[in-house]
This record gives sequence, C-alpha cells and structure tokens, in this order.
Amino acid sequence: MKRMRPQFATDAPTTPLDVPSNGRRRKAAQGPRNGRGNGVSRFYGTPLPGVNPEELSGNLIVVEGTDGSGRSTQIALLTEWLESEGFAVETMGLRRSFLVGEDIDALLAENAVTRMTLALMYSTDFFDQLERRILPALRSGLIVLADRYIFTLIARAAVRGISRDYLHGIYEIALRPDLTFWLDVRPEVAFDREFKKSQTISYWESGRDMSLSNDLFQSFIRYQSLIKGEFEYLSRRHGFIEIDGEGSVSEVNRRLRKRIASRLGIANTHYKPSHALAHLWP
Amino acid sequence: MAITTPDILAATQPETVKAVTAKREFPGALVVVEGIDGSGKSTQLYLLKRWLEIGGYRIHFTEWNSSPLVKSATRRGKQRRLLTPTTFSLLHAADFADRCERQILPLLHGGYLVLADRYIYTAFARDAARGCSPHWLRNLYSFAPIPDITFYFRAPLDVAVSRIVAGRPKLKYYEAGMDLGLSLDRAESFRIFQDRILNHYDQMVEADRFVLMDGTARVDKLQKMMREQLAERIDLKRFAPKKKKK
Repeated sequence: MKRMRPQFATDAPTTPLDVPSNGRRRKAAQGPRNGRGNGVSRFYGTPLPGVNPEELSGNLIVVEGTDGSGRSTQIALLTEWLESEGFAVETMGLRRSFLVGEDIDALLAENAVTRMTLALMYSTDFFDQLERRILPALRSGLIVLADRYIFTLIARAAVRGISRDYLHGIYEIALRPDLTFWLDVRPEVAFDREFKKSQTISYWESGRDMSLSNDLFQSFIRYQSLIKGEFEYLSRRHGFIEIDGEGSVSEVNRRLRKRIASRLGIANTHYKPSHALAHLWP
Repeated sequence: MAITTPDILAATQPETVKAVTAKREFPGALVVVEGIDGSGKSTQLYLLKRWLEIGGYRIHFTEWNSSPLVKSATRRGKQRRLLTPTTFSLLHAADFADRCERQILPLLHGGYLVLADRYIYTAFARDAARGCSPHWLRNLYSFAPIPDITFYFRAPLDVAVSRIVAGRPKLKYYEAGMDLGLSLDRAESFRIFQDRILNHYDQMVEADRFVLMDGTARVDKLQKMMREQLAERIDLKRFAPKKKKK
C-alpha cells in the first residue's frame, strides 16, 4: 500500500540532501522518524549521533541569501515580532560557535588557509552550534532563527571546486529546517548595499581568493553571481521560499511574517517595530 | 516512494561504503602505519625513517594531529570538554585537511616518499567507535590520497593497554573515551574504548588492503619485514640520493 505523505510547499520530503551520483539511492528507512507524524524526516540522512528527532518540538526557520540581501535586518525584526507574540527565540549564524568561531576569524584574517580546511572549519562551527545550542533550544520548544545555514556553506565551498556530493555527504546529518527563506537580490544591488554599509568591499565577500578579477567590483559581481547560481540549484532541490530581497524592508518582512505565522498558528500578523528597531524600517 | 532516510545499518555494509577516491597523478609515494595505541607502530615507523634517512632518501615524516592552524581550537575543545563525536571528528578532519593540502600533497607531487604515523584509518576507527557513521566518515576523508602501503600493527588488547598504562601517568579525557560514558574509571574506559577501535580496525583489513603486522613480534624482526615489504612494493630507487656527475 502506498503511504500518503502530505506535501509541504516548503519542504522537499523525498529529497535527501545527497542523491548519489551513480543514481542509486541508499536503502530507505521503514517508517517516519520524526515526532510530528507527517512522514517528513527531520534529518536529511542518518541523524547526528545521539539525537532523538522525536524530542525536537521547536521550529527551525532559516533565512538564506548572499551578502547584502538584508538577512540580518530581517532576523532582528522577526525576533522582536516573535517575542512580542510570546515565542522564545534562539539565533544561529556563521562563526558564532564557542568552539571555533574566533579561530575561523583568525584564519580568514591570515589568508593562509586552504579551501578544504576552511570548509571543514565552517562545518565544525556549524555542528558545534547545532549540537550544543540549537538542538537543546528545539528540545525546549523554542523558535530558532538561522541567519544562514548549510546552504551558504555548501554554495561557498562548491564554487571553490569542492564537489557537491562531498558537501552533501557532510551535511546530510544536519537537521532539515521547517522553513527556508531565500532573500534573492541581484549582485549589483548587493554591491550597492554592502558598499554603503562599510564603504568598502571585503576580501572574502568579493571572492578574491578565487582570482576572478583584479577589478574589485568585477570580482564581487562574478563571485556573488556564482553563489547565486548555487542557490538557484539548491532552491529547486530543497524547496526554498523565494522572496524578492530587493523589495522594501517592510514588504519583505510582511511576506516573511505571513509564512511564519501560518506555520506557527499566529493569527495576528500585524507588526510595527519598537523604537529600538525603528531605524531599520524606513 | 518511501522516505529516503538511509538505514544506519545499511551504511555500514561494505558495498555502500564509498571507497576513498585517489588520483595517482604524482611521482611520490605514501607509506602509513596504523594500529591502536601501544601496538608498536610508532617505534617501527621511527626505525624505518632512520633507515631511509641514513641512506639519504628523499623522505618526509608526518604525524596525526600536528597542524598549528587548528591547534588552539582542538586544545580549547579538549580542555573544556566541548567536543561531541561529530565536532571531534570534523575538527580533526579540518586539521588533517590542512596537513594534506599544505604538506602531504605538495610533497607527493614533489616526488617525496612520505611516511605517516597514523592516517585516515585512525579517524575511521576512532570516530566510528564514538558513534559516527562509517559511511559519513568515508565521505569526509575522500579528499585524501590512498596510501601505497598501510602497515597495520595488531597487538592483543591486553598487551597494548598494559604498554600504554605502564608508560603514562594519566590518560587524557578524550584519549580514554571518557566522553562516551563507558566507565567512570579512566583505565577501564580506555580499555573498552580501545577494544572498540580495535574491532573497527580489524573490519578494514581486507577492504583497505592493510599489511598485517604482529605487534607482539620482536622489534628487529618486525623492522626487517617492514623493510622487505617496502622494497618489494615501492621502487625505492626513485627516492634514492642522486649520484653526482663527475
């Protein structure tokens, strides 16, 4: 008998993170492995050692997008909105682990690091946050807002020539998000925003380790276009909710709130930022 | 279609374990020793290294866990006991990647005979003993070149453990596998952990073509065997000192 599986627009339940390139799929598990009874596994593949998916009652909401896509602004606003609605929020992001966050900063400053080492340091940073901060939060029923997730890490390493199969293999033990938003902006717009923010363009944001161009603007555009290409592929694979990141802050925020509200069962989606965050809301 | 979560057990079957892919596009050669602590592997590799050094061969010796780049993170993680099986494994993989990309691979391309005290099989055995999936581990290290020879020094658990416990005042927390909660007694925990690692090593002997060495045999006899095997499998002339033109 065919088992019925509900389809979420935001999930690609039949897509494991890694489909082996030889076309053979690994043997499937016999039953649902999550605590929600909806047949969608909370992990892409073999779960992390020692984790019981049924204990995870919280929600993991991911906001992805390139540099200058407005992620951090939106996460600050969403945090305030969710807290005002009575939800406890935990956040995660790149290089924020206690274990190796500062070490990665040091590696980036030195430019001596090779691509594979950097990719693995980022994965260490990711799993340290996931295991020691995020999973406990989800066990306690919190809402986790992730400012970037495995998709950025996969995209950055993939454009540097590390195979997608390899990267998917590493991250298949990661937790599948409940919602993944992609704030899509053109590289030219991202350039304007990043330049306005810091009056310069950083070494890594413009992918200068890849020797794409000596012209910093060209290098930035080419690098961010490559990343965007990877995101387009990942979006098809994993059913991202694509949002036009070039819209106004309030419009992007309204669309994010609408999807999150329906997921969490929040009736009132009205929100106006407090005085503390008013500067983000033109 | 069923859910595509792979069966954990299926992942440990040999046919589903992805072989480490190697591109032999370099003139160098890689010789590795593996085995649990106290199996005698380091002594033997040292003697092999001395033999080659004295003969003037182009060699380089490398050890597991020695890259300065990620040393501070590893030390912090171990001191404060922050590491999970997954982050322990990833941090060591990052460390190895640094050594591989900046040391081992350039040397192999430069025509060196590289001697490695422990290699990726150490991670396969130790991290699997901590509960990481063998399938996941094989993928994690798939960027590493496959050795030309892997000498596997096998000593019975009691022999190996007594060698270590006698020579070391205190076993370290992770070294003894204390993070796994196997036993509150450090020596006992170490013993159980080493037993698990030994089992994982034994499972790799055939698939990974280990050259099995009896760790209880006499040191000089083992060394003689090792030199014979090396000369038989590797064209040592390639690494011999070049004769000066007269």
